[in-house]
Amino acid sequence: MVWLIDNFITVVDGVAFGLLLFTIAIGLSLILGVLDVLNLAHGALYLVGAYVAVQLLGGRTASMWAYLLALIVAVVIGLGAGTGLAVMMRPLARRGHLDQALASLGVALVAADLLSAVFGNEVHTVPAPGFLAGKFTFLGYTYPAYRIAVILLGLTLAVVVYLVVERTRIGALARATVVDGPMVRAMGVDTRPFVAGLFAFGTVLACVGGVMGAPILGAYPGLDQYVLILGLVVVVVGGVDSVLGTLFGALVIGQVEVLGVSLLPKFASFLVFATMTGALLLRPRISRLQAVAA
Amino acid sequence: MQGKGRASRLLGCVVVALLLAGCGSSLTAATIASGSVKVGLLIPQSGVLAAVGTDISRGFHLYLSQHGGLLGGRKISLVTADEGAGPDTGVPAGQRLIQQNQVGVTVGVVNSATALGLIQPYNEAKVPLVIATAGANALTGVHASDYIWRTSFSNANLGASMGDYVAKQVGPGTVYLIAPDYAAGHEQIAGFQQAFQAAGGHVAGSAFPSFGATSNYQPYLARIQQSGANAVFAFFSGVEAISFVRQYKDFGLSPEIPLYATGPVTEGNVLRGEGAAALGIRTGLNYCTELNTPTNRAFVAAYGAAYHDPPTVFAVAGYDAAHVLDKALAGATSGAQVVAGLRQLGDIDSPRGTWRFSPTHNPIQQYYLRGVSEQNGTLVNVLAGKLTNN
Repeated sequence: MVWLIDNFITVVDGVAFGLLLFTIAIGLSLILGVLDVLNLAHGALYLVGAYVAVQLLGGRTASMWAYLLALIVAVVIGLGAGTGLAVMMRPLARRGHLDQALASLGVALVAADLLSAVFGNEVHTVPAPGFLAGKFTFLGYTYPAYRIAVILLGLTLAVVVYLVVERTRIGALARATVVDGPMVRAMGVDTRPFVAGLFAFGTVLACVGGVMGAPILGAYPGLDQYVLILGLVVVVVGGVDSVLGTLFGALVIGQVEVLGVSLLPKFASFLVFATMTGALLLRPRISRLQAVAA
Repeated sequence: MQGKGRASRLLGCVVVALLLAGCGSSLTAATIASGSVKVGLLIPQSGVLAAVGTDISRGFHLYLSQHGGLLGGRKISLVTADEGAGPDTGVPAGQRLIQQNQVGVTVGVVNSATALGLIQPYNEAKVPLVIATAGANALTGVHASDYIWRTSFSNANLGASMGDYVAKQVGPGTVYLIAPDYAAGHEQIAGFQQAFQAAGGHVAGSAFPSFGATSNYQPYLARIQQSGANAVFAFFSGVEAISFVRQYKDFGLSPEIPLYATGPVTEGNVLRGEGAAALGIRTGLNYCTELNTPTNRAFVAAYGAAYHDPPTVFAVAGYDAAHVLDKALAGATSGAQVVAGLRQLGDIDSPRGTWRFSPTHNPIQQYYLRGVSEQNGTLVNVLAGKLTNN
């Protein structure tokens, strides 16, 4: 218990990072789970959002209005990118998952290069906006106010996505398409706008995640790969079948990246992948337990 | 029949190509012997230390432009190569400069591991390498060699420059040491610790976050607070400095626990990225833009006019590299003669003050105490005094 008190702030920071990862991973998970498409452009979209934040919030201080504008711009870009990607994926659907993944990887590489050409190779940092640039002190601990905002935003997002997927007609449609897509279409439901809509939702989350994460992670070439890898690990650990699974996976990886690095700095690079390997090895056992319980 | 003839011709071509490649060093000598000299500029153009590379390049180009593109009366043709983020890209790039571009001299190198990896190739090819930032002690210490020269500083000297001062500031209190987990980090901390403890200082603990892979310093900041240290001594470079300094403020360590550091933590655009979080940090470095000498005033003005930015210690190292080559290239017809020229240099009048090469080719120079404060809306490293020379 004493250990927990000593490392309390680190654990909280792990939760903040985990919820930021959730924002990125849920889009990836939905696109992969429902549409069966591995969107490798997800990291690049995060980076686009981060550079939007650099452009609008860069400098010593930033206003809340600039931050809100950055979020709106990220949503617009995300919508455009999502629709574009969905249209691009349609003719490739017949050629299988690998071709779709490679096409998205191509988009990712081009986008990353364009961003490097426009913004340069330097690392950019972004200040937290307005009053969120302050500190929050409780019980003798100091914690940046912005990261608390990220925790609250992440939790809100998790609740909203969970309710939409589990409690609305659109969500039911999504879950039905996962189970039996042709049957859904046979029932007369045109799945094409639905597919584009879901893609756009995922990419909007990636871009918004980039704006949200900019005051914490900054923006620089290579960040897209870091974010994509962590997102994929979260999806592997949490599974693609449920929002709660993705949330669990994100929180676990968030703790591993923050608390794990603090406790085991020598193994920092390996911890995330060790967790993923552990999850893969334990997955069959857990599914069997769930089947027995059901 | 035809196949055999073609195969033997191909083999002949391969043999000739190998022979030509083996003649690399003699072609290098020819490069200096003729009128113009090819100079290689090996700097990081991407990654966490790209800004340092830009500064070195700017300093070097400024000296060239002030002297009509000539060094030692010889026209200079510059070949810029990207050393990348580490030795796996830097060492091949440095070798390509000798073998493919046949440069007469190379200047630059920011990554110490890269510099260490180039000692053997450059000594074998008899091409001088003038290092303009890489701080590894061994470059002018255990592995000092004829063809490796440095115009910046060694990690041990830089770290040690603050030892005496911090010991006096902290008195009976303790200091926590932190730097990235690579050669430069360990050497600067070791240099500081030696001088600090010799002056009666006490160390509370130390931490070495992994280099280039850490963006969240909160766990280390928590450990600093738990150790009860009265002050922190740190070294970070580039984006890691920005992250560390901002998080030092975000997580409440500033201003309760004073932060002392070596210069790179608040140099150049790193200071801009840190913003108000850097106020009050005291650093030691072999250069300060506020030095009130005619040479420095002229240099700062010229640099500002050319690049619309204040110069940094890295720019001074690049500028002085051009300066020493200007003296040593005059009348030289081989790498060995350039080295002889460098050996004969006495005191060098530089924006940083007057300095000279030590017997192992490292600068013997004055270190200055600087403090970050705000002047006319911009952050500046203000000159706060001179540090005792080790």
